Formats: sequence, C-alpha cells, structure tokens
Amino acid sequence: MKREITLKINGREETITVEDADTLLEVLRDRFRLWSVRESCGVGACGTCTVLLDGRPVSSCFLLAVRAAGRNITTLEGLSDGQSLHVIQQAFVSQRALQCAYCTPGFVLAVKALLDEIPNPSDEQIREYLSGNLCRCAGYADILRAARLAQERQISKETAMPRK
Amino acid sequence: MTIRSFDLLQPRSLAEASDLLLKHRDEARPIAGGTTLVILMKQRAVHYPYLVDLQSIPGLNRIAKEVDGIRIGALVTHRTVELSRLVRNSFPVVAEAFSTIGNVRVRETASVGGNLAHADYRLDPPPALLLLKSEVTLFGPGGSRVIPLKDFFTGMYETALEAGEILVDVKIPNMPTGSKAVYLRHSALSANDWPCLGVAALVSKENGRVRELRLALSGLAATPVSVDGLEFVRDCSFDDSVLDRILGIVDEQIAPFYDLRGSEWYKRRMARVFVRRAIAQLESQA
Ligand SMILES: Cc1cc2nc3c(=O)[nH]c(=O)nc-3n(C[C@H](O)[C@H](O)[C@H](O)COP(=O)(O)OP(=O)(O)OC[C@H]3O[C@@H](n4cnc5c(N)ncnc54)[C@H](O)[C@@H]3O)c2cc1C
Repeated sequence: MKREITLKINGREETITVEDADTLLEVLRDRFRLWSVRESCGVGACGTCTVLLDGRPVSSCFLLAVRAAGRNITTLEGLSDGQSLHVIQQAFVSQRALQCAYCTPGFVLAVKALLDEIPNPSDEQIREYLSGNLCRCAGYADILRAARLAQERQISKETAMPRK
Repeated sequence: MTIRSFDLLQPRSLAEASDLLLKHRDEARPIAGGTTLVILMKQRAVHYPYLVDLQSIPGLNRIAKEVDGIRIGALVTHRTVELSRLVRNSFPVVAEAFSTIGNVRVRETASVGGNLAHADYRLDPPPALLLLKSEVTLFGPGGSRVIPLKDFFTGMYETALEAGEILVDVKIPNMPTGSKAVYLRHSALSANDWPCLGVAALVSKENGRVRELRLALSGLAATPVSVDGLEFVRDCSFDDSVLDRILGIVDEQIAPFYDLRGSEWYKRRMARVFVRRAIAQLESQA
C-alpha cells in the first residue's frame, strides 16, 4: 500500500509518499540522498545504518519507513551545522578513529546517543554501548579513545556554557 | 524496494486486530517491533500480503506494578524493560536477561511480546521469565485467556497462539521471599551474538537453609526448558553430590542439537558448566 507520511529529518519536515514495504534506509538514501546512512549486514548486527529516532539509536535497514512517521530522525548530516564539525566528529578526527570510514557515521551517532543518555559513562558502559557497531578496519581502540575525548569535551563545553 | 509489497493494516483495538488476523488467516501476521519479521521478509524467507500493526493499538506498551507482581505489555521494548527502575529493583534477573540481547538498537526496537511469540529456541528472556513462573495473557476471538508461559512454548517457532490470537502481556509474580536469581548466557561466537545457551537459576532460603532451587534454560532443546524434579534440594547444601544429582537431572531434561554455536556434546558440557556456575554465583552472594 502507498501512503503519505511526514518525516522530521534533521529538523526539517518532509511529506512524501512511501510504500508500506519501504525501509527507512531506502527512503533516506533514495529519496533524500542522505548517503551517510549505509547498509552493510542488512540484519541489524553491524550498525552502519544507525540513525536516531527521537534521539534513540535504531537500525534503519529493518525499520519500516511508515514506523518513523511523525518522529524526529537524525542522521549524521544533522549533527554539524554545515560549517563546523560536531564535537564528536572532531574527536573522531583528532583520534584518527577512522580508516575506510564506512562505519563512522554509525559510530558517531551511537556515541551521540550514548552521551545523551549517559553523560558520564564508565569505560565498560562505552564498550557495551558501542559493541553493536562493527569496524572491519578494526580501529576500536582509537574509536574508544574518541568516544572518551568527545565525552570530556562535551562536559567541559557544558560547564563553560550553562544549559538553558 | 527489497521487501515484496504488502499492506500494513492499522487496527485501533485488540478486537479489530484479531478480526483482521482471522479474516486474512495465513496471508496475515501481526507485526510488533518487526526486528525478526522485517528481516525475514527482506531475505524473502517469508511473505505476508498483510501485516497487522500491533503498535497502532493503544495501551500495550505499559509496565504496571500489581500487588502480587508486575505486568509487562506485549509492546514494551527490550530497552524499556532493561532500564525500568521497577524491573531492576524487584526483578533484577529479568532486567539482566533483556540487557544481554543483541545490541542497543535491537533492544530499542524489539518488543517483549515479539520475543516470546517468535519462540526461537535460543532467546535470552524466556529462562528468566519461566524461572519466576510468569503467565501470558492471550486475546482472541473467544476473548482473553491466561496460560503459564511454560505452556506457551509448544515447539521450535511454535506457540499456543491460536488463529486470530494476540499475546497481550506477561505477568511476572513477585520473587519468593528470601530468594535470589541470576541469568547467565554463554556466547560461543562474538559477545553480542545470540546465545549458544542461557541458564537462569533461583535459590530461596529460610534461616540459611535451602528451601527451593529453580532452573530454566534456553538453547538446549527445541523450546526453553523449565527443569522439574529439583524438590529434593530442600534442606540440602550444594555439595558435590547434590550438584552431581542436579546436573544429572538437567542432562536428562535437555535435548540440545548441533547448530552454528556448537554440537550436542559441547552444549551438554556447557550446560553443566553454566548451571554449576549459576548456583555457585548465587551461593557466593548469600
Ligand atoms: C541483530 C539481532 C540480534 C539479536 N540478538 C538476540 C539475542 O542475543 N538474544 C535474544 O534473545 N534475541 C535476539 N534477537 C531477537 C530479538 O529479540 C527478536 O527479534 C525480537 O524480540 C522480536 O521482537 P519484535 O517486536 O521485533 O517482533 P516482530 O519481528 O514484530 O515479530 C516476531 C514474531 O512474533 C509475532 N508477534 C509479535 N508480537 C506478537 C504479539 N503480541 N502477539 C502475537 N504474535 C506476535 C510476529 O507475527 C512474528 O512472527 C536478535 C535480533 C536481531 C535482529
């Protein structure tokens, strides 16, 4: 069945017609050209297709697009303001936490969801949370360092600029 | 489009959902989080012209405290159970079981009802829920009925759900007084792979003496197993001879088979290791 839905993608409302059988990944890539959303394993195990749905991490490869109707979707493209990189992205760059970078958008969004949920995670919590994202260049040590650095910078940014 | 075209039907009530399922019979299937179903449809392992969306029915995603336990709605996500203060405080073994599932994205999407209704033989939640003698409410054409979770699992990927029936909630009775419980899972492949096997154990004591031992297992037969015949442990201590007898009983009641995660021989060995370990862990906490 075809139906019209409204998606809030990176802060913008978009009304489109989708098939019930369309996955969110297909819609984000094919209709909105958000190439940071990538399919790899296709079964929810690798994390390259991670997007945030109302702030929570989900695998867009097996989420039906109609299920995202009316909800806030954040992809990597929505993190930075188009000028400067988000603090998590900066941390990935400075720690060289990427090689081929296929998995990076998923990791960055997973770190975002983690830090939003647990602002001061233990090393164990970081490992546990990110364990569902796979990096086949095996840059895990660098990625864990980047996550920690992002957390420290985020905290210092918050103490410098009190939240409204 | 990877998935063959289907119609997502969005009922507003259980009665309407049940009618839709009855009307379309084999052509329809309920969909909750979709983590299993959508993947199977993507792989074209299954196809249903109609999916009945349980998420459009209000009221199925609540965790409610009751005098004698808690009731978890079928649509509550794994992640909600894992993080629920109520569950963590009163039923830590249940929170633990749900927290070990796959990865955080799956847990954000998958539902309690979907996990049980899928009835795979190696899932994490069933042992913890069986251990606490949980019951499930099923709604169908004839109204509601409540059955023990033990009787819900009838075979590999098979449940007691009749045509047009929907799993509505699971009721977990309070833990017996003086009891502790633990859930251990063994992953034979990567850490967040499906379990090779899972062992839930509960020991209750009165004045330092053992009153009861319960064991429930997954991955060790076509359905999760609730171990019977453990009454003899009353007033015993868990010394080697008692443990041997327990392990003998477990060995008789399981029927593991070869899969990607191990041979029958391996799983029988690991069942012994993990049952022993679970009991030892409870004893060391006492
Ligand atoms: C990458 C990955 C890793 C995983 N790892 C683990 C793991 O480590 N441990 C583990 O235990 N599980 C694991 N799982 C399985 C996961 O727990 C199940 O996919 C999930 O519980 C299914 O729930 P759902 O709401 O998504 O169900 P759906 O996919 O929507 O439905 C599953 C089945 O149940 C039926 N159904 C759903 N809800 C109801 C209802 N209320 N009444 C009647 N029928 C219903 C559907 O028709 C379908 O047949 C993993 C899954 C994935 C994708």
